Amino acid sequence: MKHWWWKILAVLLLLGASVSALRTPLSPALVHVSPGRIAPGPVELTVTGYNTLFEQEGLAAHLENGGERLCATSVEALSPTVLKARFDVPQGFRESLTTLAVLDRTDGRLVMPGALFTNGTGSGAGISGCPEPNEELGLTKAFAFPNRAILYESIRNLCFHVPMWFAMITVMGISVWKSIRTLGSNSLDDDRAALQAVNVGLVFCALGLITGTVWAKATWGAWWTNDVKLNGSAVTALIYLAYLVLRGSVQDAHKRARLAGIYNIFAFILLVMFLFVVPRLNAVDSLHPGNGGNAAFSDLDLDDRLRRVFYPACMGWILLGVWMYDLRLRTARLQASLDR
Amino acid sequence: MRPLLLLLSFLVTAPLLAQDAAPGWLEDSLYRGGKINAVVAVVAVIILGIGLWMFSMDRKLRRLEKEIKKPFDSAQGK
Repeated sequence: MKHWWWKILAVLLLLGASVSALRTPLSPALVHVSPGRIAPGPVELTVTGYNTLFEQEGLAAHLENGGERLCATSVEALSPTVLKARFDVPQGFRESLTTLAVLDRTDGRLVMPGALFTNGTGSGAGISGCPEPNEELGLTKAFAFPNRAILYESIRNLCFHVPMWFAMITVMGISVWKSIRTLGSNSLDDDRAALQAVNVGLVFCALGLITGTVWAKATWGAWWTNDVKLNGSAVTALIYLAYLVLRGSVQDAHKRARLAGIYNIFAFILLVMFLFVVPRLNAVDSLHPGNGGNAAFSDLDLDDRLRRVFYPACMGWILLGVWMYDLRLRTARLQASLDR
Repeated sequence: MRPLLLLLSFLVTAPLLAQDAAPGWLEDSLYRGGKINAVVAVVAVIILGIGLWMFSMDRKLRRLEKEIKKPFDSAQGK
Protein backbone atom coordinates (compact mmCIF):
# COMPACT_ATOMS: atom_id res chain seq x y z
CA MET A 1 0.00 0.00 0.00
CA LYS A 2 2.93 2.31 0.69
CA HIS A 3 3.82 2.39 -2.99
CA TRP A 4 0.30 2.58 -4.23
CA TRP A 5 -1.58 5.29 -2.36
CA TRP A 6 -0.36 8.23 -4.43
CA LYS A 7 -0.97 6.40 -7.69
CA ILE A 8 -4.53 5.65 -6.63
CA LEU A 9 -4.85 9.27 -5.59
CA ALA A 10 -3.63 10.35 -9.04
CA VAL A 11 -6.27 8.26 -10.80
CA LEU A 12 -9.05 9.45 -8.50
CA LEU A 13 -8.05 13.11 -8.87
CA LEU A 14 -7.86 12.83 -12.66
CA LEU A 15 -11.20 11.06 -12.82
CA GLY A 16 -12.99 13.51 -10.57
CA ALA A 17 -11.45 16.62 -12.09
CA SER A 18 -11.96 15.52 -15.70
CA VAL A 19 -15.58 14.54 -15.15
CA SER A 20 -16.39 17.83 -13.40
CA ALA A 21 -14.42 19.83 -15.96
CA LEU A 22 -16.55 18.33 -18.72
CA ARG A 23 -19.91 18.14 -16.97
CA THR A 24 -20.19 21.39 -15.00
CA PRO A 25 -22.60 23.67 -16.87
CA LEU A 26 -21.62 27.17 -17.93
CA SER A 27 -23.40 29.95 -16.12
CA PRO A 28 -26.05 31.76 -18.17
CA ALA A 29 -24.90 34.74 -20.24
CA LEU A 30 -25.96 37.01 -23.07
CA VAL A 31 -23.97 36.15 -26.17
CA HIS A 32 -25.50 38.08 -29.05
CA VAL A 33 -27.55 41.19 -29.69
CA SER A 34 -28.84 42.38 -33.01
CA PRO A 35 -28.67 45.03 -34.31
CA GLY A 36 -25.32 45.98 -32.78
CA ARG A 37 -25.83 49.72 -33.25
CA ILE A 38 -28.45 52.04 -31.76
CA ALA A 39 -29.46 55.59 -32.65
CA PRO A 40 -31.96 57.97 -31.04
CA GLY A 41 -35.51 56.82 -31.70
CA PRO A 42 -37.38 53.51 -31.25
CA VAL A 43 -35.14 50.41 -31.40
CA GLU A 44 -36.03 46.73 -31.31
CA LEU A 45 -33.23 44.45 -30.07
CA THR A 46 -33.13 40.68 -30.45
CA VAL A 47 -31.03 39.28 -27.61
CA THR A 48 -29.66 35.74 -27.60
CA GLY A 49 -28.61 34.05 -24.40
CA TYR A 50 -26.62 30.90 -23.66
CA ASN A 51 -27.88 28.47 -20.98
CA THR A 52 -30.48 31.06 -20.03
CA LEU A 53 -34.06 30.46 -18.94
CA PHE A 54 -35.92 33.56 -20.13
CA GLU A 55 -39.60 33.55 -19.19
CA GLN A 56 -42.13 36.30 -19.66
CA GLU A 57 -42.92 36.74 -16.00
CA GLY A 58 -40.51 39.09 -14.24
CA LEU A 59 -38.43 39.67 -17.37
CA ALA A 60 -36.86 43.12 -17.67
CA ALA A 61 -34.19 44.71 -19.82
CA HIS A 62 -32.36 48.01 -19.69
CA LEU A 63 -29.53 49.92 -21.29
CA GLU A 64 -26.77 51.57 -19.29
CA ASN A 65 -24.65 54.41 -20.56
CA GLY A 66 -22.51 56.85 -18.60
CA GLY A 67 -24.30 56.10 -15.32
CA GLU A 68 -27.77 56.55 -16.83
CA ARG A 69 -30.26 53.73 -17.04
CA LEU A 70 -32.95 53.34 -19.70
CA CYS A 71 -35.70 50.77 -19.17
CA ALA A 72 -37.20 48.83 -22.07
CA THR A 73 -40.67 49.88 -23.16
CA SER A 74 -41.52 46.21 -23.67
CA VAL A 75 -39.77 42.87 -23.32
CA GLU A 76 -40.94 39.65 -24.87
CA ALA A 77 -39.47 36.18 -24.28
CA LEU A 78 -39.58 34.27 -27.57
CA SER A 79 -37.87 31.19 -26.17
CA PRO A 80 -35.72 30.36 -23.10
CA THR A 81 -32.71 31.77 -25.00
CA VAL A 82 -34.15 34.51 -27.20
CA LEU A 83 -35.92 37.70 -26.23
CA LYS A 84 -37.06 40.86 -27.98
CA ALA A 85 -36.70 44.18 -26.18
CA ARG A 86 -37.94 47.57 -27.41
CA PHE A 87 -36.34 50.83 -26.32
CA ASP A 88 -36.99 54.50 -26.95
CA VAL A 89 -33.40 55.64 -27.23
CA PRO A 90 -33.02 59.31 -26.20
CA GLN A 91 -30.68 61.85 -27.72
CA GLY A 92 -27.39 62.55 -25.93
CA PHE A 93 -26.01 59.40 -24.31
CA ARG A 94 -22.52 60.23 -23.02
CA GLU A 95 -20.53 57.21 -24.18
CA SER A 96 -20.26 55.57 -27.59
CA LEU A 97 -20.71 52.07 -26.17
CA THR A 98 -23.92 51.17 -24.38
CA THR A 99 -24.21 48.24 -21.99
CA LEU A 100 -27.19 45.90 -22.21
CA ALA A 101 -28.56 44.20 -19.09
CA VAL A 102 -31.34 41.64 -18.77
CA LEU A 103 -33.04 40.65 -15.55
CA ASP A 104 -34.93 37.41 -15.22
CA ARG A 105 -36.21 35.28 -12.39
CA THR A 106 -33.93 32.25 -12.68
CA ASP A 107 -30.74 33.70 -14.11
CA GLY A 108 -30.63 36.97 -12.20
CA ARG A 109 -28.90 39.95 -13.77
CA LEU A 110 -27.14 39.21 -17.07
CA VAL A 111 -24.91 41.94 -18.47
CA MET A 112 -23.34 42.44 -21.86
CA PRO A 113 -20.86 45.28 -21.34
CA GLY A 114 -20.38 47.70 -24.24
CA ALA A 115 -22.71 45.65 -26.42
CA LEU A 116 -24.10 48.45 -28.57
CA PHE A 117 -22.41 51.15 -30.63
CA THR A 118 -24.27 54.33 -29.93
CA ASN A 119 -24.99 57.16 -32.37
CA GLY A 120 -26.10 60.64 -31.37
CA THR A 121 -23.97 60.97 -28.24
CA GLY A 122 -24.03 64.15 -26.23
CA SER A 123 -23.64 65.40 -22.68
CA GLY A 124 -26.22 63.16 -21.02
CA ALA A 125 -29.76 62.10 -21.87
CA GLY A 126 -31.30 63.28 -18.61
CA ILE A 127 -33.53 60.25 -18.14
CA SER A 128 -34.98 58.99 -14.88
CA GLY A 129 -37.70 56.69 -13.70
CA CYS A 130 -36.00 53.37 -14.33
CA PRO A 131 -35.74 51.55 -10.98
CA GLU A 132 -32.57 49.93 -9.64
CA PRO A 133 -32.42 46.27 -10.64
CA ASN A 134 -33.21 43.73 -7.96
CA GLU A 135 -29.82 42.17 -7.14
CA GLU A 136 -31.43 39.42 -5.07
CA LEU A 137 -32.71 37.62 -8.16
CA GLY A 138 -31.10 34.38 -9.17
CA LEU A 139 -28.74 34.28 -6.20
CA THR A 140 -29.31 30.61 -5.44
CA LYS A 141 -27.42 29.38 -8.45
CA ALA A 142 -26.08 25.90 -9.04
CA PHE A 143 -22.34 25.28 -9.32
CA ALA A 144 -21.37 26.53 -12.77
CA PHE A 145 -18.32 27.70 -14.70
CA PRO A 146 -18.04 31.35 -15.71
CA ASN A 147 -19.34 32.08 -19.17
CA ARG A 148 -16.97 34.49 -20.87
CA ALA A 149 -17.37 36.00 -24.30
CA ILE A 150 -15.04 34.42 -26.89
CA LEU A 151 -14.14 31.52 -24.58
CA TYR A 152 -17.61 30.08 -23.91
CA GLU A 153 -17.39 26.29 -23.44
CA SER A 154 -13.68 26.23 -24.21
CA ILE A 155 -13.02 27.64 -20.73
CA ARG A 156 -13.06 23.97 -19.66
CA ASN A 157 -9.70 23.61 -21.38
CA LEU A 158 -8.19 25.41 -18.41
CA CYS A 159 -8.44 22.09 -16.56
CA PHE A 160 -6.69 20.19 -19.38
CA HIS A 161 -4.20 22.48 -21.12
CA VAL A 162 -2.68 24.24 -18.09
CA PRO A 163 -2.06 21.08 -15.97
CA MET A 164 0.14 19.78 -18.82
CA TRP A 165 2.57 22.61 -18.11
CA PHE A 166 2.32 22.11 -14.35
CA ALA A 167 3.21 18.45 -14.82
CA MET A 168 6.05 19.34 -17.18
CA ILE A 169 7.55 21.87 -14.77
CA THR A 170 7.33 19.38 -11.91
CA VAL A 171 9.21 16.61 -13.74
CA MET A 172 11.72 19.13 -15.13
CA GLY A 173 12.22 20.23 -11.52
CA ILE A 174 12.89 16.62 -10.52
CA SER A 175 15.31 16.44 -13.41
CA VAL A 176 17.33 19.47 -12.37
CA TRP A 177 17.43 18.22 -8.79
CA LYS A 178 18.83 14.90 -10.02
CA SER A 179 21.30 16.78 -12.21
CA ILE A 180 22.62 18.79 -9.28
CA ARG A 181 23.01 15.55 -7.34
CA THR A 182 24.86 14.03 -10.30
CA LEU A 183 27.42 16.83 -10.17
CA GLY A 184 28.02 16.14 -6.50
CA SER A 185 27.91 12.36 -6.47
CA ASN A 186 29.16 11.48 -9.96
CA SER A 187 26.52 8.76 -9.82
CA LEU A 188 25.31 7.44 -13.16
CA ASP A 189 21.99 6.52 -11.56
CA ASP A 190 21.24 10.16 -10.74
CA ASP A 191 22.12 11.03 -14.33
CA ARG A 192 19.77 8.31 -15.57
CA ALA A 193 16.99 9.74 -13.41
CA ALA A 194 17.60 13.24 -14.80
CA LEU A 195 17.38 11.94 -18.37
CA GLN A 196 14.16 9.99 -17.77
CA ALA A 197 12.56 13.02 -16.11
CA VAL A 198 13.39 15.14 -19.17
CA ASN A 199 11.91 12.45 -21.43
CA VAL A 200 8.61 12.55 -19.53
CA GLY A 201 8.73 16.34 -19.32
CA LEU A 202 8.99 16.56 -23.10
CA VAL A 203 5.86 14.41 -23.48
CA PHE A 204 3.93 16.94 -21.40
CA CYS A 205 5.60 19.81 -23.23
CA ALA A 206 4.41 18.38 -26.57
CA LEU A 207 0.89 17.87 -25.18
CA GLY A 208 0.88 21.40 -23.78
CA LEU A 209 1.96 22.86 -27.10
CA ILE A 210 -0.58 20.91 -29.18
CA THR A 211 -3.51 21.55 -26.83
CA GLY A 212 -2.41 25.19 -26.73
CA THR A 213 -2.54 25.54 -30.50
CA VAL A 214 -6.03 24.00 -30.60
CA TRP A 215 -7.27 26.37 -27.92
CA ALA A 216 -5.58 29.31 -29.63
CA LYS A 217 -7.34 28.46 -32.90
CA ALA A 218 -10.69 28.43 -31.11
CA THR A 219 -10.18 31.71 -29.24
CA TRP A 220 -7.65 33.82 -31.15
CA GLY A 221 -8.39 32.42 -34.62
CA ALA A 222 -4.81 31.32 -35.29
CA TRP A 223 -2.87 28.18 -34.46
CA TRP A 224 0.12 30.21 -33.43
CA THR A 225 0.72 33.86 -32.69
CA ASN A 226 4.08 35.54 -32.14
CA ASP A 227 3.30 35.91 -28.49
CA VAL A 228 6.07 35.91 -25.87
CA LYS A 229 4.45 33.11 -23.92
CA LEU A 230 4.01 30.92 -27.00
CA ASN A 231 7.46 31.54 -28.42
CA GLY A 232 8.93 31.11 -24.94
CA SER A 233 7.35 27.67 -24.61
CA ALA A 234 8.57 26.68 -28.09
CA VAL A 235 12.11 27.80 -27.24
CA THR A 236 11.91 25.83 -23.98
CA ALA A 237 11.00 22.72 -25.96
CA LEU A 238 13.99 23.28 -28.24
CA ILE A 239 16.33 23.77 -25.26
CA TYR A 240 15.30 20.41 -23.83
CA LEU A 241 15.53 18.72 -27.23
CA ALA A 242 19.09 20.08 -27.38
CA TYR A 243 19.69 18.38 -24.02
CA LEU A 244 18.95 15.02 -25.67
CA VAL A 245 21.13 15.91 -28.66
CA LEU A 246 24.00 16.87 -26.32
CA ARG A 247 23.72 13.55 -24.51
CA GLY A 248 23.78 11.68 -27.79
CA SER A 249 27.00 13.35 -28.84
CA VAL A 250 29.17 12.37 -25.84
CA GLN A 251 30.48 8.80 -25.72
CA ASP A 252 32.02 8.57 -22.25
CA ALA A 253 29.27 7.94 -19.66
CA HIS A 254 30.81 9.91 -16.78
CA LYS A 255 31.73 12.83 -18.97
CA ARG A 256 28.21 12.77 -20.42
CA ALA A 257 26.67 12.76 -16.95
CA ARG A 258 28.64 15.86 -15.87
CA LEU A 259 28.10 17.78 -19.11
CA ALA A 260 24.38 16.97 -19.21
CA GLY A 261 24.06 17.88 -15.54
CA ILE A 262 25.54 21.33 -16.07
CA TYR A 263 23.49 21.91 -19.23
CA ASN A 264 20.31 20.85 -17.45
CA ILE A 265 20.76 23.46 -14.74
CA PHE A 266 21.01 26.17 -17.40
CA ALA A 267 18.05 24.66 -19.25
CA PHE A 268 15.87 24.84 -16.14
CA ILE A 269 16.85 28.43 -15.45
CA LEU A 270 15.93 29.30 -19.05
CA LEU A 271 12.62 27.44 -18.66
CA VAL A 272 11.73 29.58 -15.65
CA MET A 273 12.85 32.68 -17.56
CA PHE A 274 10.94 31.95 -20.75
CA LEU A 275 7.75 30.66 -19.16
CA PHE A 276 7.44 32.89 -16.11
CA VAL A 277 9.72 35.91 -16.10
CA VAL A 278 9.86 37.25 -19.66
CA PRO A 279 6.09 36.99 -20.40
CA ARG A 280 5.34 38.87 -17.17
CA LEU A 281 7.59 41.82 -17.87
CA ASN A 282 5.53 44.97 -18.11
CA ALA A 283 7.24 45.94 -21.34
CA VAL A 284 5.79 43.07 -23.35
CA ASP A 285 2.27 42.54 -24.54
CA SER A 286 0.78 39.10 -24.43
CA LEU A 287 -2.53 37.63 -25.44
CA HIS A 288 -2.02 34.72 -23.12
CA PRO A 289 -3.91 35.01 -19.82
CA GLY A 290 -1.72 35.80 -16.84
CA ASN A 291 0.99 37.64 -18.80
CA GLY A 292 2.04 41.09 -19.98
CA GLY A 293 -0.33 42.94 -17.70
CA ASN A 294 -3.07 40.58 -18.84
CA ALA A 295 -5.31 39.11 -16.19
CA ALA A 296 -5.28 35.37 -15.62
CA PHE A 297 -8.58 33.67 -15.05
CA SER A 298 -8.50 34.72 -11.43
CA ASP A 299 -9.78 38.27 -11.02
CA LEU A 300 -13.00 39.29 -12.71
CA ASP A 301 -14.28 36.00 -14.01
CA LEU A 302 -12.74 33.43 -11.83
CA ASP A 303 -13.77 33.29 -8.32
CA ASP A 304 -13.41 29.87 -6.81
CA ARG A 305 -15.66 28.02 -9.19
CA LEU A 306 -13.02 27.02 -11.74
CA ARG A 307 -10.34 26.67 -9.08
CA ARG A 308 -12.26 23.94 -7.32
CA VAL A 309 -11.81 21.80 -10.43
CA PHE A 310 -8.53 23.27 -11.69
CA TYR A 311 -6.37 22.54 -8.61
CA PRO A 312 -7.36 18.86 -8.31
CA ALA A 313 -6.73 18.50 -12.06
CA CYS A 314 -3.22 19.98 -11.70
CA MET A 315 -2.49 17.73 -8.73
CA GLY A 316 -3.69 14.68 -10.65
CA TRP A 317 -1.62 15.43 -13.75
CA ILE A 318 1.47 16.20 -11.67
CA LEU A 319 1.12 12.87 -9.88
CA LEU A 320 0.62 11.09 -13.21
CA GLY A 321 3.76 12.77 -14.55
CA VAL A 322 5.77 11.61 -11.53
CA TRP A 323 4.33 8.12 -11.98
CA MET A 324 5.36 8.08 -15.65
CA TYR A 325 8.84 9.22 -14.64
CA ASP A 326 8.95 6.45 -12.04
CA LEU A 327 8.07 3.80 -14.66
CA ARG A 328 10.66 5.16 -17.11
CA LEU A 329 13.37 5.25 -14.46
CA ARG A 330 12.69 1.69 -13.27
CA THR A 331 12.78 0.43 -16.86
CA ALA A 332 16.05 2.29 -17.49
CA ARG A 333 17.55 0.78 -14.31
CA LEU A 334 16.58 -2.72 -15.42
CA GLN A 335 18.15 -2.01 -18.81
CA ALA A 336 21.33 -0.77 -17.13
CA SER A 337 21.62 -3.80 -14.88
CA LEU A 338 21.23 -6.05 -17.93
CA ASP A 339 23.86 -4.13 -19.90
CA ARG A 340 26.38 -4.50 -17.11
CA MET B 1 12.41 9.30 -28.39
CA ARG B 2 12.91 9.85 -32.11
CA PRO B 3 9.21 10.20 -33.08
CA LEU B 4 8.78 12.72 -30.28
CA LEU B 5 11.78 14.69 -31.54
CA LEU B 6 10.31 14.76 -35.01
CA LEU B 7 6.88 15.80 -33.78
CA LEU B 8 8.24 18.57 -31.58
CA SER B 9 10.48 20.02 -34.27
CA PHE B 10 7.54 19.95 -36.68
CA LEU B 11 5.36 21.71 -34.13
CA VAL B 12 7.90 24.44 -33.67
CA THR B 13 8.31 25.06 -37.39
CA ALA B 14 4.71 24.42 -38.51
CA PRO B 15 3.46 27.96 -37.82
CA LEU B 16 5.97 29.28 -40.35
CA LEU B 17 4.35 27.16 -43.04
CA ALA B 18 0.75 27.85 -42.13
CA GLN B 19 0.70 31.64 -42.07
CA ASP B 20 -2.56 32.30 -43.88
CA ALA B 21 -5.10 29.50 -43.83
CA ALA B 22 -8.53 30.25 -45.26
CA PRO B 23 -11.49 29.80 -42.90
CA GLY B 24 -13.24 26.53 -43.61
CA TRP B 25 -14.81 23.44 -42.12
CA LEU B 26 -12.28 23.37 -39.29
CA GLU B 27 -13.18 26.81 -37.95
CA ASP B 28 -16.85 26.01 -38.34
CA SER B 29 -16.61 22.83 -36.32
CA LEU B 30 -14.39 24.44 -33.69
CA TYR B 31 -16.80 27.32 -33.13
CA ARG B 32 -20.05 25.34 -33.20
CA GLY B 33 -21.98 24.63 -30.00
CA GLY B 34 -20.30 27.30 -27.89
CA LYS B 35 -16.81 26.06 -28.90
CA ILE B 36 -17.28 22.74 -27.12
CA ASN B 37 -15.36 20.99 -29.89
CA ALA B 38 -12.20 22.82 -28.84
CA VAL B 39 -12.49 20.96 -25.54
CA VAL B 40 -13.18 17.66 -27.31
CA ALA B 41 -10.09 18.16 -29.48
CA VAL B 42 -7.89 19.01 -26.50
CA VAL B 43 -9.03 15.97 -24.52
CA ALA B 44 -8.52 13.79 -27.61
CA VAL B 45 -4.97 15.11 -28.06
CA ILE B 46 -4.11 14.33 -24.43
CA ILE B 47 -5.54 10.81 -24.55
CA LEU B 48 -3.74 10.13 -27.85
CA GLY B 49 -0.50 11.49 -26.41
CA ILE B 50 -0.67 9.38 -23.26
CA GLY B 51 -1.64 6.40 -25.45
CA LEU B 52 1.43 6.88 -27.65
CA TRP B 53 3.56 7.08 -24.53
CA MET B 54 2.09 3.78 -23.33
CA PHE B 55 3.04 2.17 -26.63
CA SER B 56 6.62 3.40 -26.41
CA MET B 57 6.81 2.14 -22.83
CA ASP B 58 5.44 -1.21 -23.94
CA ARG B 59 8.07 -1.46 -26.67
CA LYS B 60 10.87 -0.73 -24.21
CA LEU B 61 9.67 -3.44 -21.84
CA ARG B 62 9.29 -5.93 -24.69
CA ARG B 63 12.89 -5.32 -25.68
CA LEU B 64 13.96 -5.85 -22.07
CA GLU B 65 11.97 -9.08 -21.85
CA LYS B 66 13.70 -10.39 -24.96
CA GLU B 67 17.12 -9.58 -23.53
CA ILE B 68 16.32 -11.31 -20.26
CA LYS B 69 15.04 -14.36 -22.10
CA LYS B 70 18.12 -14.70 -24.34
CA PRO B 71 20.73 -15.91 -21.78
CA PHE B 72 18.05 -18.09 -20.18
CA ASP B 73 17.37 -19.83 -23.51
CA SER B 74 21.04 -20.36 -24.30
CA ALA B 75 21.61 -21.85 -20.83
CA GLN B 76 18.93 -24.42 -21.58
CA GLY B 77 20.64 -25.28 -24.86
CA LYS B 78 17.88 -23.95 -27.14
